Amino acid sequence: MTEYRSRFRSLTDGSDAPEDADHHIFIGPQHPWAEEPAHFIIHLKGERVVEADIRIGFNLRGIEKAMENRTWRQNVMLVPRACGICSAVHQNVYVRVVDRLAGVEDQISERARLIRMFSLEAERIHSHILWYGILAHDAGFDTMLHITWRDREIIMDIMEDISGNRVNYSINLPGGVRRDIKPELVPSVRERLKKLRKQVEYHRKVFAEEASIRNRLENVGILTKEDAKKTSPNGPTARGSGLPYDVRKSFPYELYDKIDWDLIYYTEGDVLATTLVRVDETLVSIDIMERCLDQLETTQGELLARVKPRIPAGRYMARAEAPRGEDVHYGIADGTDTPERYKIRAPSLGNIDATLKRMDGEYIADMPVILRSYDPCFSCTNRVMIINENTGEKMILNQDEFARKAIKAKKYNRPFF
Amino acid sequence: MSAELKELESILNVTLPEKLVEEVLKVEEGHFDVLCTAKNAYDLMKIFNEEAGIYHLSTISGIEKEDEFNICYHIQHRIEEEIREVPINFIITKVDKKNPKSPSMFDFFVAAEYYEREIYDFYGIYFENHPFLQRLILPERWPDDVKPMRKEYSWEQVKEITMKITKESLEDK
Repeated sequence: MTEYRSRFRSLTDGSDAPEDADHHIFIGPQHPWAEEPAHFIIHLKGERVVEADIRIGFNLRGIEKAMENRTWRQNVMLVPRACGICSAVHQNVYVRVVDRLAGVEDQISERARLIRMFSLEAERIHSHILWYGILAHDAGFDTMLHITWRDREIIMDIMEDISGNRVNYSINLPGGVRRDIKPELVPSVRERLKKLRKQVEYHRKVFAEEASIRNRLENVGILTKEDAKKTSPNGPTARGSGLPYDVRKSFPYELYDKIDWDLIYYTEGDVLATTLVRVDETLVSIDIMERCLDQLETTQGELLARVKPRIPAGRYMARAEAPRGEDVHYGIADGTDTPERYKIRAPSLGNIDATLKRMDGEYIADMPVILRSYDPCFSCTNRVMIINENTGEKMILNQDEFARKAIKAKKYNRPFF
Repeated sequence: MSAELKELESILNVTLPEKLVEEVLKVEEGHFDVLCTAKNAYDLMKIFNEEAGIYHLSTISGIEKEDEFNICYHIQHRIEEEIREVPINFIITKVDKKNPKSPSMFDFFVAAEYYEREIYDFYGIYFENHPFLQRLILPERWPDDVKPMRKEYSWEQVKEITMKITKESLEDK
C-alpha cells in the first residue's frame, strides 16, 4: 500500500523532500486560493509534481466531544453545524440514528419523509452549483462563476420561503420534520424549479461543449478505477472514476427506493468527469424535488411523532449521500438522555487520498483545479432576517439584538413584531 | 455456528473460521456487526479484504467502555452487479486500557492511515506496524499526554487546555 502513500514526511520546510524534486511549494493554511484552512506541500521537478502531501487539523472544533455533553435533543441543533454547506444532510443522518435507537422508525409518516428528501435535494443543488461555479473561477472562467451564483439564488430563495433559512434549514427532527410545505407555496416553487432546470441545462452545455473550459479540465488529474478502489474515495469523486456507488441507491434511506431517479456515473476519471457528475446530478435532484412535490399533493400524515428524551441503549451506524460523498454517523446510546459516544465522518476526509493520487505527475498550473475537485467547503451565514409571514414586514438583526428580542419574547410570551 | 454468521458467509461467499470471530450480530436487513479480539483482527480483516474483496473503508471509530477500548472499522461490501452495499461494522473488542494496542489495517486500506492517526490523537491507541503514527488533527502545542476524547477529560478541562495553548501561542510571537 505504500505506493499509494509514500509521502510520510514530518518536516515542512523542504529539507525532508524526495530526492528528485527541485522545487517545493507550500500552500496554506491561510491562502487566497483556499477558503478552508489546509496546508498543501507540493514537491516539483521542473513543472511536474513529484509528490504532494496535506496537513489538516487547523479548524478542530471538538463537536464530537461537545455532543457527549449535551442531550440527544440539544444535539439536533448542534449537529448541522458540523458543516456550513451540507448542514441538512448531517441533521438527517443524526435524526435517523435517533429514530432507529428510539424505535420510532415506523411511526414516521410518508409526508415527513418526503419533506426531508425535498430539503436534502435542495441542499445538493445549491452545493453543486456553488462548487462548479468556483471550479470555473479556478480555471480562469470568471463569467461562469457569476452566472452560476446568480442562478443559485433561485434555489436559495425557494428554501428560504419553505424553511425560513438560506443554508441551515434545520427541517429534520427526531420523529419527523419541523415544518410543512404549505400547498399555497407549491405553484411558485414549481415555476422557479422549471426556470432553474433551464439554467442548469445551460450550465451543462457550457461545461460539456465550451472549448476553453474543456481544455482546462479534460485529461487532467486522472484517477483510474483501480486507483479509486485502493484509495476508497466517495461521492462524485468515486462516481467520476467508474465506481457507481451512491448511498441513495446502494443502501436506500428515506423514500429514495420508492421514487424513480437516475444514477449518474462516468468512467473517464478526470476532473471533467467529476464536474459532469455534479452538473448531471443537479438535474436529477431537480427531478427528485418535482416528484416529491407531486407525491406531497396526495400524501397526508402526522409531521412529528413523539420521541422520548431518554434513548434506550444500543448502537447504530447510519450513512447518507451528502453533496460531497458519503456521510457516516455512528451513535452509541446508554439509556440516558445524552449520547455515550457519537462519531461523525464528513465526506471530505475520505477523498484526500484520492486527490493526492490525482496530482502525481501533473503540471503545477493544474493544481488549483485538482485541489478543488474534491470540493472543500466553507460557511457563509451571519445574519438573521425576521419576516412577518402575514404582513411581509421585515426586520434585520445582529446577534445581540436577536438574543435580546428572543429573551423578551419568551419572557412575556409575545411575538417578535 | 450462529444463523447470522451463516448469512454473512453466504453474502460474502467465504468461510469465516469460528475461532477468529467472536460474534456476528445482525443490525438490520443487510447490515452486520462483526466482533473479534485484537489478536485475531489482522487475520480476519485479511479474509475480508483478500478473499471477500472488500475494498471500501468508510471510517474508523474509537469507543471507550468502562474497562476496555473498542475500535470499529466501518467497511462496505460492494456487489457491483446490483449496485448494492452491505455495511459491516468490524468491531475490535477488549483492547486493554492500560496499554492500548491494536494491529494497523494500512496493509488493506490506504484510507486507514488517516483514520488510525485520528484515533491515536484522540484516544492514544497505538497501532502496530503503522508507517507514520504521528499527530494528525490536534494542534501543535497540545500536551502529548492529554487524549481529549477519553472520558477522564471533561468538556471544561478540554476547554481550559485549549484556552491555555491559545494564550501561549499569542504570547510567543
